[in-house]
Amino acid sequence: MNTQLRIAAILSGALLMNSTCVLAEEDFVGWLLDFSRTKEVKPVTDKQYQDECGECHFAYQPGLLPANSWEKLLAAEALHDHFGDNAEMDKETLSAVRAYAVENAADKSWYKRSRKIAAAAAKGQSPLRITELRYIERKHHDIPEKMVKGNKDVKSLSYCDKCHTQATKGVFDTDTVLIPNYPDWDD
Amino acid sequence: MKHNLSFYIVSAGICITAYSGTVNADEAALIPELPSAASTYTRSAPFIAPRPYIIALNESNASSKQAEMAVNKAAEFEPPLFSGSNAHKYLGLGTVLFAGLTALTAPEEECETNCPPVQPPRQTSGTSHTRFARTAAALAAATVTTGLLYHWNDFHLEDGFSDPDNQHALLGATGALLMLYAVNKSAKSTVPTSHAGIAELGGVAMAVAIKITW
Repeated sequence: MNTQLRIAAILSGALLMNSTCVLAEEDFVGWLLDFSRTKEVKPVTDKQYQDECGECHFAYQPGLLPANSWEKLLAAEALHDHFGDNAEMDKETLSAVRAYAVENAADKSWYKRSRKIAAAAAKGQSPLRITELRYIERKHHDIPEKMVKGNKDVKSLSYCDKCHTQATKGVFDTDTVLIPNYPDWDD
Repeated sequence: MKHNLSFYIVSAGICITAYSGTVNADEAALIPELPSAASTYTRSAPFIAPRPYIIALNESNASSKQAEMAVNKAAEFEPPLFSGSNAHKYLGLGTVLFAGLTALTAPEEECETNCPPVQPPRQTSGTSHTRFARTAAALAAATVTTGLLYHWNDFHLEDGFSDPDNQHALLGATGALLMLYAVNKSAKSTVPTSHAGIAELGGVAMAVAIKITW
């Protein structure tokens, strides 16, 4: 067997052995041939979702929670009390927002960080708060309390975009973190 | 010369790793006065429950201005060009590049049947193929080392093999070991030896590891 054939055979085998990719999505070939970076979380691309959610808070990317969580969170009856506030929308808008969130949820995304969230959620988690995800808890475990709760410009882990400077682009990489009032936070 | 090969590879790996380490040398410094971890108050903290997400509403002018300043600082923030994470990324890409060059410069297959009585001695150094191979192996070793240093907290056995970072780590480490083994095996042999398959498998494992977390 010549070298090219051998390389092609090994490459095909290795990729097919990646059972997560094979089983999880229909769009495996698309992912395989797409060389754009999908390391983080898919940015929000739906204007209606951005407008409706972003009106009151950072428009969390759907890839930050599994579909089950979005179903619960965006149920019409649940929005009466959306973490203490009334976030009701008209039926049509809610339907569109929920559909976008569910279609782009962590367990339906090819983006790496979403896949990690989905893998954690697959173990029985479908939390309503992103900060309750085991993966998110673990990633923030070493951040001292004074930099978040005790920081007047942050106050809570819920405000992703206070420290993740590229959160709106779906980038949550450590290199892009700047904690207000703690420029040398990682020292 | 041959017996020095491992030394060269390991030395090159250490040098590259040490160089990348200067970027983030003080990362592990401990600050003893820091309070307990933030994760202890994320789940049931009373301050989250009432109004967790409303930003800047009903706040005083002073706090609004402070929040605005923080947002401005965030907008001005540029991620560092040199970081441990970036070093790991470029070392990995370099490994795959040099592995490809190694495959492209592989010599013609050795004579197996009807061979002339006297064959030229086997070259185990000084050719483009051997240089590329050693460079790829050194870069692979450095990639794995920087991965361990800067992405250790992304690797969790409890998440199982379905976790993309676990897949990345296992495939990357396996690929590097296979490449090092292939280079070592070839360099120590004075007669034609089968090492291409192992090296190719190593290179492909590295490439797949990159793709999974790209």
